[in-house]
Amino acid sequence: MGNVIVWIVWLAALFGCIGSGVAVVSMTNPFYSAIALIGNLGSLAVFFLLLQAEFVAAAQVLVYAGAVMVMFLFVIAYLGGQADAPWAGGSSWQRWAAVIAASALLLEIIMVIGLKAGGRLSDEAEVREAFGSPGDIGRLFLTDHLLAFEITSIVLLVAAIGGVVLGAHSRHGEPRYEGPAGVPVSRERTLPPEPVAATPHDASGAGVPG
Amino acid sequence: MSIAAWICLLAPLAGALAITLLGELVPRRIAGLVATGSVAIAFAAAVVLFVTVLGRDGEERQELTTAWNWLSVGDLDVGLSLLVDPLSIMMALIVAGVGSLIVAYSIGYMAGDDEERRFFAYMALFVFSMLLLVLAGNFLILLAGWGLVGLSSYLLIGFHHERPSAIAAAKKAFIMNAVGDATMALAFFLLVYETGTLDFVTAFERVDGLSSTVVNLVALGLLGGAVAKSAQIPLHTWLPDAMEGPTPVSALIHAATMVTAGVYLIVRAHPLFEAAPSVQDLAAGLGAVTIVVAGLIALVQTDIKRVIAYSTMSQIGYMFLAAGIGAYANGMFHLMTHAFFKALLFLAAGVVIHALVGEQDMRKMGGLRRLMPRTWIAMLIGGLALVGLPPLSGFFSKDSILASALATGDTYGYVLFAAGLFGALLTGIYTFRMLFIVFTGEPSGFVREHLHTEHGEGPRWMTAPVAVLAALAVVGGAVQIAGIWHPLADFLDSIVAVDRESLALVEPTVTQDWVTSILAVGAGLLGIGVAWLIYGARRVAAPRMVALRNPLERKLYFDELYQTVFYYPAVGIARGWTRFVEGPLIGGSISGVAGATRGLGRGVGQAQTGFLRTYALAIAAGLAVLAMVFVSVR
Amino acid sequence: MNGPDVTWYLAVAGVLFATGALGVLLRRSPLIVLLSLEIMLNGANLALIAFARQQGDLDGQIFALAVMAVAASEVVVGLGLIVAMARRRLVLDVDELTTLRG
Repeated sequence: MGNVIVWIVWLAALFGCIGSGVAVVSMTNPFYSAIALIGNLGSLAVFFLLLQAEFVAAAQVLVYAGAVMVMFLFVIAYLGGQADAPWAGGSSWQRWAAVIAASALLLEIIMVIGLKAGGRLSDEAEVREAFGSPGDIGRLFLTDHLLAFEITSIVLLVAAIGGVVLGAHSRHGEPRYEGPAGVPVSRERTLPPEPVAATPHDASGAGVPG
Repeated sequence: MSIAAWICLLAPLAGALAITLLGELVPRRIAGLVATGSVAIAFAAAVVLFVTVLGRDGEERQELTTAWNWLSVGDLDVGLSLLVDPLSIMMALIVAGVGSLIVAYSIGYMAGDDEERRFFAYMALFVFSMLLLVLAGNFLILLAGWGLVGLSSYLLIGFHHERPSAIAAAKKAFIMNAVGDATMALAFFLLVYETGTLDFVTAFERVDGLSSTVVNLVALGLLGGAVAKSAQIPLHTWLPDAMEGPTPVSALIHAATMVTAGVYLIVRAHPLFEAAPSVQDLAAGLGAVTIVVAGLIALVQTDIKRVIAYSTMSQIGYMFLAAGIGAYANGMFHLMTHAFFKALLFLAAGVVIHALVGEQDMRKMGGLRRLMPRTWIAMLIGGLALVGLPPLSGFFSKDSILASALATGDTYGYVLFAAGLFGALLTGIYTFRMLFIVFTGEPSGFVREHLHTEHGEGPRWMTAPVAVLAALAVVGGAVQIAGIWHPLADFLDSIVAVDRESLALVEPTVTQDWVTSILAVGAGLLGIGVAWLIYGARRVAAPRMVALRNPLERKLYFDELYQTVFYYPAVGIARGWTRFVEGPLIGGSISGVAGATRGLGRGVGQAQTGFLRTYALAIAAGLAVLAMVFVSVR
Repeated sequence: MNGPDVTWYLAVAGVLFATGALGVLLRRSPLIVLLSLEIMLNGANLALIAFARQQGDLDGQIFALAVMAVAASEVVVGLGLIVAMARRRLVLDVDELTTLRG
């Protein structure tokens, strides 16, 4: 009986995951893509739970879906109309090559799985009850993988600084980009005229990670 | 004795260094006095050596001192060693003695020149180089002195470096001497290879063991160097051009000392030459040819210094002739007397030039006999000595050479004798042509305008050495009077590597001496008479003889010949290489590499499209390929 | 374990990865590209967690957490760039942003 429930949950998560993944890639409106991604992340959290990675699932929802995606949504809101771009374009050979490349990758992955990676994918380890619990993860982070832990914190710090720098107001106001000499900047889009002085000079917006 | 030798050698060097290092700190006159003093010290040291050597006998008269051993390779030991023997002492006396007189003269001649100090430094350097050459104890030091002398000559010829003609003349002299240096160096290589030594004494001992080819080659190489340094045919074209240098330079280097280095070399290396008799005959032959050719060319020269220069060439021909037939002492005797009267002629001519503010063209001169009587007397003495009239010095020395030529007894010797006799005739003509043109007749317009004799004919510094040299030219011949007494020959009998009783290979008999003297004096007087007729009394016009005159005025086209044979081909080859090899190949390859790199960069840069998606596609495609590779390899 | 075994999870991860790759390669808006990139990263995460479960080794989960942190940082910087570009009134179209053209 428990097995059937697992399978049903698994299948539901599967549909959610794949569907939202396709939705992210194919939606025109970036806002919808972002919402779809949140859905994707949620499905993945379910998968993680099924794989007995509770802490990672929690982190996924909290960090990824909670912070990163909110940041995405903020930026999309800030950009407003500027964020719209045509679905695709460019040379057709590029499109076909992209499809072929992605298909090739997928095919290879399936093949490898199919070959069962030399037969080693068949065994499953027996895990304890506390597998994937925060306690175990925490212990590993502070003993075996301490270096990775610290370096990751530094990476986050660098990203924070970078975000602040990128988002800071320049002292002389934003320069208007003219494009390289002789090359006309095509389809230059300007914001619709603001009725009030709510010009995009607010300090909030990009760059503050959760 | 060795201390005196070192003092003799190093005093002029110290003088040159002092002048160089003190620079502008000392007044110009002091520089001149330092130079003169240093050379005078060298002369004093040479006198000390001379007196010491006189007190000894035979082998005792040779002494080799080595300062330190510089090169010790296998069997070869070469060091800074000086050889003191009668020959080197004689040369040192001449070099330092006449040198000090000439340097003293320069104090007067070069007074007022902007770069006087440099001149004296160079002169002192030259004296040092020449002394190094003559006092050398092995061939390497001799070569070092040889080269340094060439350098000093270059520096002094090109002293007035703002004159392009002077620079060109200096280069020409140096390059032609370099040809001789090259042949000499090759000869030394061969000598080291075959005998394993460069030391005079040892090398001469081992000459007997060499094959005739080797000896001939070595002697030929040495002869090449001697011919270049002494301006004999065919390497003579630099000497007339060298008259661009100041007159004291011409007197010292190109009359009295440097050009005689070739003769010294042959006499010093006489065992080598005697073992290669054909080369020795060649030397004598070249000397004879030079006597005649130089004499002929001197007949048509208009520059007073060039006449004397060609005369020098001719007289050195006599010395080569003597060395070539083995009459070494006679050749050295003539070297000594020639130094006296040739330096005298040059210095007196310098007085004339100095009084005429630098004019050297004889055609502008005339009638100076009454205006500069003392100079006239001096030049007359020099001229008579040069022609070889008794009892002046030239008579004794020149006639002894001719007599030795006669004494060889073979046809070649007779030919040489005839050439020498003809040369005596020519000497009379061209010498007195010069004297008559310059000094007799009425003063020319130029002379009236420019002659400055308010303070006497010349400064004291100039006239005193001239007087001394005149005296020497008169009495210098007393050292050796043929058939009566020969202290010089005896003196030179004990030089290094003389196994026989006397140095000379030939000894003329009394009859031959008399016959020679009468003929030679007769030829000289005939020459003077011809000159008198044409230039003195102006009774006979100079023969036009255009066919003969033109080649002589063009110096027998030697310069043109060398230009065609050496210069144009070299320039053509250089240009060809530049155009066909350097430009396309070397320059082209470099620019080709640069161009290829640029093109490659441009081509590769095409991949930088700037399109993000292309890059991403490339990454994805690469990843796919890699994955495929990994999968298939597994 | 109940439910599908590891290979199914891996297949899902592969599909996610390929989908994200398609999105990166085909879309022109940098924002969508970033989102697609996130999908790819998540696909990788899923594979890691699956392997961790299969091997019984928690290192995979650690790895996934690190990936998550790094992905967050990368999103920060990427969004910062996009905002900066928008401020300068640049067209947010990857095909137009070709200043780095060599």
